[in-house]
Amino acid sequence: MQQFIKVIGSFVSMLALMCLDYTAWAQEADRASVVGKVQTASGEALTGVSVVLQEAKRGTVTDAAGHFELTGLTPGDYTLLLSFIGFETEQRSISLKASQKLEVNVSLREKSFEMKGVEIIGKSATREVNEQPYAVTAISTRELQNSTSDAKEVLNRVSGVRVMEEGGLGSNLSFTLNGFSGDQVKFFLDGIPMDNFGSSLQMSDIPVNTIDRIEVYKGVVPVWLGTDALGGAVNIITNRKANFLDASYSIGSFNTHRLSLNGAYTNPANGYTFRGNVNYNYSDNNYRVLVPIKEGSNIIDTTEVERFHDRYRSATVKLETGWVNKKYADNLLFGVIASGNDKQVQTGATMNSVYGGIIRNSQSVVPTLRYSKDNFLLEGLNVSLYSAYNITKSEVIDTLRGVTYNWLGEATYTPGSNNGELRRTYTTFDDNDFNSQLNAGYVLSPMHSLAFNYALSFFRRETFDAENPDRIENQFPRSLNKQVLGLAYKFDPTERWSTTLFSKFYLLHAKTSKEYDFALETQRIEALETSKNNFGYGLATTYFLLPDLQLKASYERTNRMPWATEVFGDGLFILPNPDLGPEQSNNFNAGAAYGFKLGNDHQFNLESSFIYRDAEDLIYQVVRVATPETYYDNLSQTRTLGVEGSLKYQWRDMLRLGGNFTFQDITDQADVIYNESYTNSGYQRNFQKGFRLPNIPYMFGNANAGLTFRNVVLPESVWNLNYYYNYVEQYFLSWAELGSRDTKKVIPTQSSHNLELSAGFREGKYNFAIECRNLTDAMLYDKYYLQKPGRAFYLKFRYVL
Amino acid sequence: MFSMKHTSKLALPVLSLCSALLFTSCDSKEDNPTPDADSSFVVSLAIQGSDGGFTYYTVPFRDVMSGSLSAKGKGIEQPGYFDFTQIDNTIYSIGGLDDVNVVGISKTETGELKQVGNVSFPNSLSDIVKADDSKLVALEMASTSDMVKFHTINSGTVSVSSTKQHRVSDITNLSAPSYSGMTISGNHLYLSYYISDPNTFATPHTDKAQIAVYSYPGLEFQKVIEDNRTGPIGGFNTKSGLIKDERGDVYALSHSNPANGYSQTTNKGGILRIKSGETIFDQSYFFDVEQVTGGKNIAHLKYLGNGKALAEVNSADNSQQARWSDGPLRTAIIDLNSKTVTYINGLPEHAGNGRRLAAVQDGKYVYMAIPEGDGIFVYRIDTETNTATKGAEVEANFVAGISKL
Repeated sequence: MQQFIKVIGSFVSMLALMCLDYTAWAQEADRASVVGKVQTASGEALTGVSVVLQEAKRGTVTDAAGHFELTGLTPGDYTLLLSFIGFETEQRSISLKASQKLEVNVSLREKSFEMKGVEIIGKSATREVNEQPYAVTAISTRELQNSTSDAKEVLNRVSGVRVMEEGGLGSNLSFTLNGFSGDQVKFFLDGIPMDNFGSSLQMSDIPVNTIDRIEVYKGVVPVWLGTDALGGAVNIITNRKANFLDASYSIGSFNTHRLSLNGAYTNPANGYTFRGNVNYNYSDNNYRVLVPIKEGSNIIDTTEVERFHDRYRSATVKLETGWVNKKYADNLLFGVIASGNDKQVQTGATMNSVYGGIIRNSQSVVPTLRYSKDNFLLEGLNVSLYSAYNITKSEVIDTLRGVTYNWLGEATYTPGSNNGELRRTYTTFDDNDFNSQLNAGYVLSPMHSLAFNYALSFFRRETFDAENPDRIENQFPRSLNKQVLGLAYKFDPTERWSTTLFSKFYLLHAKTSKEYDFALETQRIEALETSKNNFGYGLATTYFLLPDLQLKASYERTNRMPWATEVFGDGLFILPNPDLGPEQSNNFNAGAAYGFKLGNDHQFNLESSFIYRDAEDLIYQVVRVATPETYYDNLSQTRTLGVEGSLKYQWRDMLRLGGNFTFQDITDQADVIYNESYTNSGYQRNFQKGFRLPNIPYMFGNANAGLTFRNVVLPESVWNLNYYYNYVEQYFLSWAELGSRDTKKVIPTQSSHNLELSAGFREGKYNFAIECRNLTDAMLYDKYYLQKPGRAFYLKFRYVL
Repeated sequence: MFSMKHTSKLALPVLSLCSALLFTSCDSKEDNPTPDADSSFVVSLAIQGSDGGFTYYTVPFRDVMSGSLSAKGKGIEQPGYFDFTQIDNTIYSIGGLDDVNVVGISKTETGELKQVGNVSFPNSLSDIVKADDSKLVALEMASTSDMVKFHTINSGTVSVSSTKQHRVSDITNLSAPSYSGMTISGNHLYLSYYISDPNTFATPHTDKAQIAVYSYPGLEFQKVIEDNRTGPIGGFNTKSGLIKDERGDVYALSHSNPANGYSQTTNKGGILRIKSGETIFDQSYFFDVEQVTGGKNIAHLKYLGNGKALAEVNSADNSQQARWSDGPLRTAIIDLNSKTVTYINGLPEHAGNGRRLAAVQDGKYVYMAIPEGDGIFVYRIDTETNTATKGAEVEANFVAGISKL
């Protein structure tokens, strides 16, 4: 950090010098000179200290050894000013005689000695990300390293973000960001799209101690992420330290075990590096839910029962090896990810239907290649390439015949029946997915830079159903080929102002099959091939009104191509929709961030932003109360108006308080709806125009409080006590406004409280954390009454070398 | 502690917070009109969302003859697919397609709608019919299942008191029988069906009428009766293949119409009769509908009284009908005894909804919702003068039920 401060310091000093009026160097012999050395009070040489001889309007900066020299000075009385960031400015009166070489050695006093707290001038990576012109929130997970959280829980505390879970560990997650949901928001792991990692590497499988920080881009996504995400993007940056070992194990309610082993070794001499990551997650997810109990056809009772068929297991091994900091590459890494999971399926999209035999599993092997080099061939040309080839095999198994379960786990047998629990199937998907991402950035001058990105994704699926080997739709090839080209120009006219102009070109080619003329004599299934290309563009700009007051605005006309699961389905609850088209939208974000101090100890940070979004053919997951199955469809016209804000307060480094609030009004703006049935078919009036979209929370917020104590009880110990509160306002499961309020299906207002105590000993070498989630045992749901776990306890041990 | 300098620092955060609050306050739109206590009409409005799904709102109205009928802020909400049938003073909403619940909707003493019942079935119910004052019989019959199930339901509590299962193979070995009508008369339950391929929906067997007869209340299978004078009874999802008069005579309608689910027509349409207490077709009775209408067929029937029934008559010949279209239709009153068809004046030719006819009888009037141009309007039919009067506009994509409680 000290080094970093020095670099910034020298940069600032140089700038200060440029402003000085230079006089021509005089070569006369009787000129005097000043030399000297600048150091800290402890004797450490200071580099980049600005040295100015006021009256002569001359100046310089100290070199690496802290030395400075000013020559060719006219004899006389001068004031010598020595200034450096983080130190008190020193002022010396000197008197120079002809031909004198005066030596002045100065010790600068550190400013922080006079302050009660330490003021860090250098910007952390987290803060640098936050100051990009995009609407972005970066969350540093440093304070959370010992916590039992995973990536999903950290994200859920960001304003504008809701992570919707269908249940416990390993359950399907969906993510909404300012009303954009599911796959409108793209996930990246170290800048690489996560889509191709397959279902066995999910957000909830990534423990917090493998993460360095998480960046959440709301709305406009930078070109270098190269994606057709239109709602935004989440980039999870993993720990890239050269040498470390981090092992953790957590155990918790519902027989949950999570093991994470993480490490890196780099040979400083030859740059050979090896990094590895092993995760294992297990949970029975047998938490209690309040459900109707059926006996025959009557619902006899509504009671609390344990989930009985919801076990989840996943394991991931990620290895990477190669060279870093070589002449030919900053990073040249070959890797492989191997992961697998299996999951019992308890319910579909609603809890009305319960299953006791359905299982799905998946195994993936992903070879990867990562290459990056700054100043590649040319000074200022930075390139990076990432490629991954994902081979995934997954199975969907529903092979019980004539068996139905109720919530008590009791099976009812219907002799002679061949019906499956949902739809008898033993489907195997063989997915092959190639992803490649090439980035090139070129710095023309400090003011102008260019970025280019090319992203290619090719997905191919083969499907076989052993229970219905002749299924016609499985005979057709399914593939999805997406390419995105992006070009951005960044203009930084002043230190305070930065603007990026960008354009993106999208290409999509899909092969699938479709049923035509349902229930007519001409009914048939035929191959369907579609090609689409679209063009998008945008602008993002930021301006610092004050050093700590940043304004941001961005606009983008963008497109999103549907992706594999949305078009092809998942073989179980998500039905295919071959007609699903791309979505276009105009996104506008404007926001401000302000940080200020009251006195020396009170630090405040405020952020607020406004969102306007106008989407055509919004890709939307249709969930009905009545059925466990869902599908994706296009909504012709929607509009989002939203506002969000967050507030953070810190007292020294002991107390942290924070909160954020999101309000988003997502309304249907279509004038007409299309009736596809054979009666009354065609366009009809949309009676729900202007109504809020169903099943999406519109008002939510959260708050947190944290206390840190150092060296209490034991020396070299750090204790953290964190409290998290989450609030979601009641929302409707159907379109708002029609029907009487008391008969409408709602997800009621929810409040949940989490409490966590963590401690680190021996300077963070040994750590433990204990957490209670859902302290009040409240009924929590996301999506259609899919109940989430009640009160649960987790204990985590972590060892860091 | 908070000096003037500090106050100015706070100005910006306070402003941004205020703007956030302003936004939220715009949101508080609260209007929840209280239902009229003397609203005796109940209309089930089906509203399609932009996502293609339907939501049903069963809303009470006092007047259906003026203004517009909207579900804004009122009515019982049911998302999914629902079929509404009124039996005595209760409307039964039957979940179809995926939802498989049955809910009874009736009025409280204060005139508000209430929901009764909590039953759920693995396959959707084809229909519910009245057995006696306290019992209903529900039929569960799906092309995907090899069983036919009769559920006896307590009409007050809407709970299943017993279930009787029979093999589908009792009534046919063809794939697969599709429900078209059910009625209970005396000691018999009559069940009409037609054969429709579960995958292609083709109907290769259209030469004769078939009705399965079960005993009642025992619900034991007795026999299948057949008649060659006309084709299969009923059609897709109209649920009006069988009607019953005051005497207990059962009338069976055949139309073999492509507009209502047939891929071919091989026998002329007409109405057969089973006399009360009998388990054979009355060979002395045949209402040759096509002869009276000049080749047109009847798609929907609703029994009114004194041998008269409300009929939705196709305005084109079978050969001209678009498959599944359930229309175009003209409304008529038919006399089952004199075998006449009288069209209603003042009611336009209209499209059908491909489902149970939504109409309610109130004395000499019948109220129906008719799609017309861009809107849907209530029409009041005077069954004595055979004329119709146009009423309120309905703010819905279609009307799924119209009742009077």
